[in-house]
Amino acid sequence: MQNIDKVQALAQRLPELEIRTSQEYCQQYGKDWLRLYEPNPCAVAFVRSTQECAELVRVARELALPLVPSGGRTGLSGGATALHQELVVSCEKLNQIRDYNEIDEVVTCAAGTITANLQAFAREQGLFFPISLASDGSSQIGGNIATNAGGIRVLRYGLTRQYVAGLTVVTGTGEIVQLGRGLVKNACGYDLRQLFIGSEGTLGFITEAQIKLTRPPSATSVLLLAVNSIDAVMQTFCRYKKRLSLIAFEYFCDLALAKVTEDKQIKAPFEAASPYYVLIEFEHGSESDFELALSLFEESMDVGEVQDGIVSQSEQQANELWFYRESISEVLASYHPYKNDIAVKPSLVPELMQQLNLVIAEHYPLSEVVWFGHIGDGNCHLNILKPQTMSANEFKQNCDKASHLIFAQVQKLGGSISAEHGIGLLKRNYLQYGRTSYEIDCFGDIKRLFDPDNILNPGKLIG
Amino acid sequence: MKVLVPIKRVIDAYVKVRVKSDQSGVETQNVKMSMNPFDEIAVEEAVRLKEAGKVSEILIVSIGDKSTQETIRTALALGGDRAIHVQSDDALEPLSVAKCLQAVIKNENPHLILMGKQAIDDDCNQTGQMLAALCDLPQATFASNIELNDSEATVTSEVDGGLLTVKVSLPAVVTTDLRLNEPRYVSLPNIMKAKRKPLEEVTIESLGVTLKQHQKVLKVTEPPKREAGIKVDGVDALLDKLRNEAKVIG
Repeated sequence: MQNIDKVQALAQRLPELEIRTSQEYCQQYGKDWLRLYEPNPCAVAFVRSTQECAELVRVARELALPLVPSGGRTGLSGGATALHQELVVSCEKLNQIRDYNEIDEVVTCAAGTITANLQAFAREQGLFFPISLASDGSSQIGGNIATNAGGIRVLRYGLTRQYVAGLTVVTGTGEIVQLGRGLVKNACGYDLRQLFIGSEGTLGFITEAQIKLTRPPSATSVLLLAVNSIDAVMQTFCRYKKRLSLIAFEYFCDLALAKVTEDKQIKAPFEAASPYYVLIEFEHGSESDFELALSLFEESMDVGEVQDGIVSQSEQQANELWFYRESISEVLASYHPYKNDIAVKPSLVPELMQQLNLVIAEHYPLSEVVWFGHIGDGNCHLNILKPQTMSANEFKQNCDKASHLIFAQVQKLGGSISAEHGIGLLKRNYLQYGRTSYEIDCFGDIKRLFDPDNILNPGKLIG
Repeated sequence: MKVLVPIKRVIDAYVKVRVKSDQSGVETQNVKMSMNPFDEIAVEEAVRLKEAGKVSEILIVSIGDKSTQETIRTALALGGDRAIHVQSDDALEPLSVAKCLQAVIKNENPHLILMGKQAIDDDCNQTGQMLAALCDLPQATFASNIELNDSEATVTSEVDGGLLTVKVSLPAVVTTDLRLNEPRYVSLPNIMKAKRKPLEEVTIESLGVTLKQHQKVLKVTEPPKREAGIKVDGVDALLDKLRNEAKVIG
C-alpha cells in the first residue's frame, strides 16, 4: 500500500482530523529554513489536541505510516523536512496558552504556541521568557523544546531545557505521558522529560509544555568594540565576564560587517576597520555598573586589545547595534554559504579558528570565510561562501569532503559539530564526530523504547 | 562663533511609560533615561557645524537633578566643549526653562541657540519660541536644513506639501526637527575624554531668576484599555455581531 493510501485509511478512521493533500500544502509543510532538500510529503495533518494526536499515532502505527512532527519549520538542519512521502503532522493549530499560576510562575501552553506570543504573555505577567531566536515570530515552543533551542541570551539564561518544568508527550506507540508535571523538585528516579528535550521529534510528539518564567533583566546597554585579534576577543570576554552581568557576548569578523553594511546600505560603526568586532549586552542595575563598563574599556584600550568602541545611548541605538550582528545570517544567504554551527569550550575558540582556517585555506582557496557567533558560549557560526566562478554542485562536493576534515578538528578539540541547530538530516552522517559509538548505540536503544516501529521522524538524528 | 545647545533628560523613547499609582505623574524610578532625541539632533548639528569650521565653541546647558549630568556627559562625548548644569529637583514648565536659559544667554552671549523643537516627555514645543521672545531674538523653527555664515542663518523646514526657507540674522534661536541629521554613536574614547571637559554647576538663584508656577498637574491617567478582540465562528455570526452588537450595518 502506498503511503497516500494509508493516509486515506487514516482519514476514514479519524474523520474529524484535518488533512490536506494539495501540492501547495505539501511543498510548504515539507521543508524547513535549510532549503537544501526537495520536500516530498504525501499529506499534512493538523492536530488540535493531545488526544487527537495520540489517536493519529496509534492508527499510523497500525498502518506503518511514517510521521514527521512539525512546528514552525524554522530549523536549519532539515529535522522537520519530509522527503519520502511521510505524513507531516503540524502542531500549529494546537496553540493555546492554557493556564498560568502566579505562585509557581509556570505557564502551560500547547506545542504550537509561537515563541513571540509566549514572550508577550510573560511580559504581561511582569515576567520574562528569555529564549529569543532570529525566528521568534514563527518558531513554536514545541520545536524549541524538540531542538533545545539556544539563541542570543544563552550566556545569561541558558538553553530552552532550563525553562521546561513539564511536558506532555505522545510516544511512538500512541501513549500519552506526563513528564515533570511542573514540579521544582522530584527525586523519583530517571527524569525522562530531559530525553525528549532535544530529541528532534524522534521519540514522541511534544503536545504541551509547562514553562517556567523568570525575572526580566533590569536596564541593559550595548557596547560594540573594535578588537585587534581573536586572542584579544577572548581576553575582552574574560575581563567583562568577571565584573559585569553579561546578557550576550557576540563576535563577528570584518568581512561579516563589510557584507552587512554593503547589503543593507548602512554606515559602518567605526571609521577604521578592525579584524574583529565584539557586541556586549550587559545589565546595569545602577550607574556604577556603567562606570565599571567604561573603566573596563579603558583597561582593554591601555593593553591594546581594542582600538575603538561605542555604547548605545538609547534603546533605539541598542537595536541598531544589534542589527549589525543579527543581519549577518540573512545577508550571507545570497552567497549560498556552507554553514557550520560548531562549539568548543570558549578558551579553545582561538585554536579552533586557527586550525580550521588552515583546513579551509587548503580546500577552499577561492572562498571567502566569515566567522561570527555566540563566542561567549564557545559557539561559532563558520560560513564558507561559494566562489562566484564555482558551480553549486562542485561547491557542495568540496564542502562534503571538507566537512570530515572540519569535524575531525572539532572532535580533536572535544567540541560539538552542532552547537544549537541540531543534527536532523544535515549532520546525521557526521554524528560519530560528536558522539562515541557507545552513545550512538544508546540513542538507538532509547529510540526503540519509545518508538518501536520507527514511525516518528525516521531517518533524522540517527540513521 | 559660539553655539549654545540646551538639552533635556527624558524617559527613553522605547520605554513603555507607566503612570504612578497615585496618578501624580509617571514612573521614572529605574526607568531608562536618554537625551531628548530632538536635542540629540541639535547637538549633532552643532558638532557638524564645528567640524565644518563654522563654529568654534559648543556650550551644553541642561536643567535638572544630579542625574542630568549623565546626559550632559553624553552631549560632551558627542562633541560639546563645556557644559552648564542648572540644578533643579522640580520639573519646570516651558516658561521657567526659557527664563533660566535667558539668564545663561545673558552671561554667555552665544551667536546661535540650537535646540530640539520639543521634548518627547511633555511634547510642549514652546521653550524655543518663548526663549526667542524673552531674549528678543529672531527664531527659525523645525529646521530640516541649516546654512550658516557669520551674520545669518538660512533655515529650511518641512511644511505641508513643500519646504519653507527663512533667513534670520544672528544671534538667533533655531529649533531642530527629526530629519535635520542622524546623530552619531557615542564613542567610548570620547566618553572618557568628556569626563575631563569643564562642567559648571549653578543654581537657579545664582542666575538671578525667580520662577513662578503657572500651572499645576491635577492628575495623570492611562488611556482607556482596548478590549481584546474575539473570533467569530463564521460569516453569519459576524454579520449578526455587526448588526446587533456594533450596530454598524442595518
